[in-house]
Amino acid sequence: MLINILLVIDFIMLAVVVSAYIYASRRERKYLRSEADQSLELQQKVYQAQVLKEISERIGYSLNTGKIVDIITSSLGNLLDYDTVAYMVLQEDGKVVFKCQVENSVNHEFIEQVKEKMLMSYEAILNKKISTAGLDESVTGNILNDNSKFRVTSFFNLPVVISRKLVGLINVASHEPGRYGEEQASILYAITNQAATAVSKLQEVLESEKGKLAAVIYSLADGVITVDLNYQLTVYNPVIKNILEIAHNKPLTMFDIVDALAGKIDLRTKIEQSIAENKTLNVPDVILKDKALELTISPVKDSGGTVIAATVVFHDITTEKTLEKTRQEFTAMMVHELRAPLTAVRWSSESLIKNLAANTGVDPAKVKDTVVTIETASNNMLELVNDLLDVAKIEAGKFELNIQDYDLVELINEQAKVFRPQAEVKHLAINVITPPKYMLKFDRVRVGQVLGNLLSNAIKYTDSGQIEVNLVPNAQEKTVAIGVKDSGIGVSHEDLSSLFSKFKQLKTGDHARKGTGLGLVVSRGIVEAHGGRIWAESAGENLGTTFNFSLPII
Amino acid sequence: MTKILAAEDDKLISGSLCDALKSAGYEPTPAYDGEEAVAKAKEIKPDLILLDIMMPKLDGISVLWELKADPNTAKIPVIVLTNIGDVETISKIVEAGAVDYLLKSDQSVDDIIQKVKDVLARNVQLT
Repeated sequence: MLINILLVIDFIMLAVVVSAYIYASRRERKYLRSEADQSLELQQKVYQAQVLKEISERIGYSLNTGKIVDIITSSLGNLLDYDTVAYMVLQEDGKVVFKCQVENSVNHEFIEQVKEKMLMSYEAILNKKISTAGLDESVTGNILNDNSKFRVTSFFNLPVVISRKLVGLINVASHEPGRYGEEQASILYAITNQAATAVSKLQEVLESEKGKLAAVIYSLADGVITVDLNYQLTVYNPVIKNILEIAHNKPLTMFDIVDALAGKIDLRTKIEQSIAENKTLNVPDVILKDKALELTISPVKDSGGTVIAATVVFHDITTEKTLEKTRQEFTAMMVHELRAPLTAVRWSSESLIKNLAANTGVDPAKVKDTVVTIETASNNMLELVNDLLDVAKIEAGKFELNIQDYDLVELINEQAKVFRPQAEVKHLAINVITPPKYMLKFDRVRVGQVLGNLLSNAIKYTDSGQIEVNLVPNAQEKTVAIGVKDSGIGVSHEDLSSLFSKFKQLKTGDHARKGTGLGLVVSRGIVEAHGGRIWAESAGENLGTTFNFSLPII
Repeated sequence: MTKILAAEDDKLISGSLCDALKSAGYEPTPAYDGEEAVAKAKEIKPDLILLDIMMPKLDGISVLWELKADPNTAKIPVIVLTNIGDVETISKIVEAGAVDYLLKSDQSVDDIIQKVKDVLARNVQLT
């Protein structure tokens, strides 16, 4: 609060100076235009201009209240004669601030008189009693001399009104009677009046800037709080309640925040450390129930470099963390999937070498079995590596197609023929229901790969029944849809959409049906590169699945 | 003859493993998923179990828990053969009571046979 008041005073003072200077130069110009000006007025204006110029030069860019008051009061000596110049402010908390600059040596009584006159005036304006309990008084300038017989015999009080609100009182006092007439009062009145207008404008700017800042903080996705040196919450945005899952509608307190983080991080110690060491602290992993947060605690400094508060930014990193975990799981799974065929190759070749070296009549059938194992394992691994490379190409957008006119039905029949032996092992029939011929522009190798993937999956996930491949042109949409329908284990509704995402298959627990699920990711890449669409339909678990993909008719 | 249960879902790996065990003079029985592994362990009461972790129906760690929970199978030494080498899994394996774990792709078949021999010898001494 005091800081706010002081800041307002700062602005008032600066504004007094600046606006007075503007006022003076305006008056000067006016003077230059009007030769009819009275010589007395001319003298006044020249004085004013000189004083205000001096004031503005001396103040420079300082916003230090004490310094500005000093400069103004000391400079006023050139403009007005007085023994003391004083300033009185009634703060919002009811406390009275009284500052007095002594020019000519006066006694304590003189100061008391000034104070009394100002209080009376203040009370008259506000039409209420002002308590002087806890009055913040400071007297600067000349030494007080109690031998002085000076009494306040002439003075005037000038209210400083900003935005139609009384913010303070300026008093000029002298022991000389009749010191101040209309002339002197009008000088000071003109200055304060101009100052008030300028300060009002400055306040508007300040309010609007504060509003903008508040809007920025309010709309941030990150939670932000500011804590003062008394560990009180001074600023927070609404997001913080969501992030920390604080449900109540009461104003937030530091207690709520510390409570929400209890056991995860000692926020108070961190804030104290940040303030004490004057440095930004980062707490990267604060794990709440289902959230991961990253906290940044920074000291807030005033223009003089003194730490006056600390801000804490709560950055929700849950998504990043989940992604990182999925990626790690993917890598772990990939390593596992690559190690499996490698293990088979290694062990098979070892036993083959051993048997051959033993030279005890090697059984050719046994050798063939082992070599077949090696071949199968190598093919599995090659398929995996190729899928990985394809996924990388798709993700990098470097997937190139060789599009020409081909018969799609011929390709379907070709693929069905390739997969029939595998299907027959499980007593599954592959039925192709298509027109005899269907010419289309597409990449024969890549679409063949999609069909192969879908057929291989259908066989893998079906234990009994049949697999049906059909082709349905849609003249209206200018697409042709190819469906591979099985009578297998089916897919639950919630899993349907995620079947084609890179990490999905790997997360399901069923490793009976070996596979990384990359085949579907690659298939989607191929179909989408053609400008088509791929999707799955299933009535539910154990009710079979139909994988469809459409290609544009071009 | 010393009976060894080889629980491994990958048919290629299982094949090579069983071949090697046979050549070394053991009597291997393959199991291709976790449930089969538990059932076969109870049925044939092997002298040692080689157990994979990532298996369908029931994973290797759950198999270990079930074996350790049944007094008939609790004392059978289990060597875990896995291709998952993360610390979390390994600590779970140790906690569940496996005598040892080996990373499949890091081992030659001979290494595994040697490990089987060592564990069986140690077990004989203990009992």
